[in-house]
Amino acid sequence: MAGLRLSKITIALLLLIVCHVGPSMAALFNQLPKTLIVTATTKSGDVLHAGEDKFTVTWALNTSLPSGADANYKTVKVLLCYAPISQHDRKWRKSNNDLKKDKTCQFTVVKQDYSATGKHEYTVARDIPTASYFVRAYALDASGTQVAFGQTTDANKKTNIFDVVGITGRTTGVFVSAIVFSALSGVALAFFYVVENKKKK
Amino acid sequence: MANKSSSSLEVEHEGDAAQFKMPVDSDHKATEFWLFSFAKPHMRAFHLSWFSFFCCFVSSFAAPPLLPVIRDNLSLTATDVGNAGIASVSGAVFARLAMGTACDLVGPRLASASLILITTPAVYCSSIIESATGFLLVRFFTGFSLATFVSTQFWMSSMFSPPKVGLANGVAGGWGNMGGGATQLIMPLVYELIKKIGSTNFIAWRIAFFIPGAIQTCSAMAVLIFGQDMPDGNYNKLHKAGEKHKDNFSEVFKYAVTNYRGWILALTYGYCFGVELTIDNIIAQYFYDRFGVNISKAGTIAASFGLANIVSRPGGGLFSDYLSKFFGMRGRLWGLWVVQTLGGIFCVILGRTNSLAGSIVVLLLFSLFCQAACGLTFGVVPFVSRRSLGLISGMGGGGGNVGAVLTQLIFFHNSKYSTEDGIFYMGIMILVCTLPIVLIHFPQWGGMLCGPTPGYTPEDYYQSEWSHHEQQKGYHTSSLRFAENSVREGGRSARGSGHYKHTVPVETSPTDV
Repeated sequence: MAGLRLSKITIALLLLIVCHVGPSMAALFNQLPKTLIVTATTKSGDVLHAGEDKFTVTWALNTSLPSGADANYKTVKVLLCYAPISQHDRKWRKSNNDLKKDKTCQFTVVKQDYSATGKHEYTVARDIPTASYFVRAYALDASGTQVAFGQTTDANKKTNIFDVVGITGRTTGVFVSAIVFSALSGVALAFFYVVENKKKK
Repeated sequence: MANKSSSSLEVEHEGDAAQFKMPVDSDHKATEFWLFSFAKPHMRAFHLSWFSFFCCFVSSFAAPPLLPVIRDNLSLTATDVGNAGIASVSGAVFARLAMGTACDLVGPRLASASLILITTPAVYCSSIIESATGFLLVRFFTGFSLATFVSTQFWMSSMFSPPKVGLANGVAGGWGNMGGGATQLIMPLVYELIKKIGSTNFIAWRIAFFIPGAIQTCSAMAVLIFGQDMPDGNYNKLHKAGEKHKDNFSEVFKYAVTNYRGWILALTYGYCFGVELTIDNIIAQYFYDRFGVNISKAGTIAASFGLANIVSRPGGGLFSDYLSKFFGMRGRLWGLWVVQTLGGIFCVILGRTNSLAGSIVVLLLFSLFCQAACGLTFGVVPFVSRRSLGLISGMGGGGGNVGAVLTQLIFFHNSKYSTEDGIFYMGIMILVCTLPIVLIHFPQWGGMLCGPTPGYTPEDYYQSEWSHHEQQKGYHTSSLRFAENSVREGGRSARGSGHYKHTVPVETSPTDV
C-alpha cells in the first residue's frame, strides 16, 4: 500500500519536474554563454542608408575555449538589434530575458549552417526602420533554441552603436497623387457650391 | 385651437402624400422603415447617410491596424501613438457642435458633404507624413469627419416619423460606427495586397490610405447629387418658397444650451459612445500584449467589437421604439438607463477577466450593451428639442467624443494604470455617469421616477421654444406638426385618454381631431 502511494508520488513529482523543466528549456538570455566573437565593419556613429549601404559581419568561436564547446551548435543566426536608445518608450521593441518574448532583435542578417568562423556581406534591407543598432549572433542547436551568442557591443549595449536611416516610403508618385487628389476634393466642393448658388437664383 | 392649427397646417403644407412611395405622416416623414429599399427621398437619404458616415469611420480609424508599420516608418514612441489616438477623437468634439448648427441652418445634405470633402485631403495627406507631428495632425483633422454622425441623426430625424425614428437613427448610426471595425479588416488586407504586387512595407501603407480617401470623396459626391434634406425638398428650395423659415442662430443656440436634458444626454453619451471609441483605439493592443495573440488575430478580435454595431446599435433603436409603444418616453428612458448600466457592468468584468476565451465572450457582451445604449440615446434625443434639433444632436455627439478624450487621457495615456485596470475603472465610471438619466423629465410625458405634469401637452413643450412674435408669424408650424406626431410618446395611457393620434398617412389623421 505504502509502496504504491510512494511510487504514485514519485511519478507525480517526476511529472512536475519534467513539466517545469520543459518550458524553461526556452532559452534565457542571461544564461547564454558568450562564446562567439562578432565584429562588423561598421564603426560607432556610422550612418547607413537602407537599401544602399552595406557592411560585413564576421563571427568566430572564441579560441581560448576548450575544444568541443561548440559540439551542439548546428546553425548560426545573425541579427540586427535595437540599441537601448531606440527601445525607449517603445514597448514593441522591449528586451526580455525570456528569448521567446524578447523583441530586441527583429531583423535577420543571415542564417546559415554553423562553422567555427564565418563572414557575410549584408546590404541593409529596405524595410529596416530609422534607429540605432548593433549586431548579435546566436548559435542555435538542432531544435532551433539559442545556446550561445556573441555581439558587436558590450554588455550594456553602449559601445559600437551605429545608425540606419530607413527609406521614407514617400515616393514622388505618392506625393504627387496625394496633392492632386486633395486638390480635386477642393475643386469638387467649389463646383457643387457654385451649382447650389445658381439653383438659389 | 388644435382644430384651427391643424387646418392651417393643411393649407400651408405643400404637396400631398401621394407623391411618396412610402406611407408618411402629416409632416411627410416616413412612418415605415424599408431597409432594402432606395425609395426617394426617405430610404435613399438613409442609405446615403449611413454609407458616408461609415466611410468617415473607416478613414478615422484606418491608422490603428497599420500601426506596427507606421510606428517603425516614422520612429514613433508609445507616447506619440497615444497622443495621436486622443487627437483622432478630439477634433470631432467641436466639429459635432458646429455640425449641429450647420444642419439647423443649411441642411444636412450640404453640411455633411462639405465636411466630408474638406476632410478628405487629411486622409490623402496621411500618405505623405514623415514625423510624429505629421501623424498627429492628419489623425486630428481626419477625425473631424466623425461629426457627420450629427448630420446622419439629424437627417434621419427629419425623414422618419417618431415611431420609427429610434430605429432609423439606430441603424444609420450603427452601420456607420461599424466602419471602425471594418477598417481593422480592410486596411491590413489592402496593405498586404499592395505589398504582394511588389511594394516595400513603408511605401505600401502609404498607398493603402488612398482607398479610404477615394471612397470618402465618392460618398460625399453621391450625397450632393442624390440626397435631399427633407421629404419636401432641399433647404434652399424650401427657404425660397417661404415654407421653411430660415432660422436665427442665436435663438437656436439659446434653446439648445438652456435645455438641461441636452447636457445630461451629452454626458451619458460620452459613456457609451465615448467608451466605444476608446475601445476601438486600445483593444487590439490589449489582446496582443496581455494574451500574446498575433497582430492579425488581435485585429480580428478588435474588428468584431466594431462590427457588432451591425445589429447592436439598431437593436437599441428598435428596443427604444418598442418600449415607447407600451410605456412612451418613460420606457425609452428606463431602457436607456438599464442597458447602459449593464454595459458598465460588463466593462468592469472585462477588466477582471484573466482568460483569453473569457475576455472575448465578455467583450462581445460588453459591445452589445454599450452600442445598444448608443441607439437608445438617440431614441430620446429627437424629442428634446425641435427648433434646435441639430445643435442638441451636436451636443450629444460632441459629448460622446469628450468622453473618449477624457477616458483615454485618464486611463490609457501614460503608464499609471495597466490596461486591464484602466478597463475596470472605465467600467466604474460608466456606472456613475449613467445615473444622471434619472434626472431627465419631460413635462408632457414624465421621467424615470415621476409621471407627466398634468395638463401639459407636447404642443406646449415644442411651442415654448418660439416667442409669441415668432408664433404670430407662423415660424413654429413645423414644430407643431412634430408635436402632433409625437403624441404617442405619452405611451398607452395617453392613447387611452383619447389624445392619441396614430401616425398614419395624411388622408386620415387631421379629421380625427
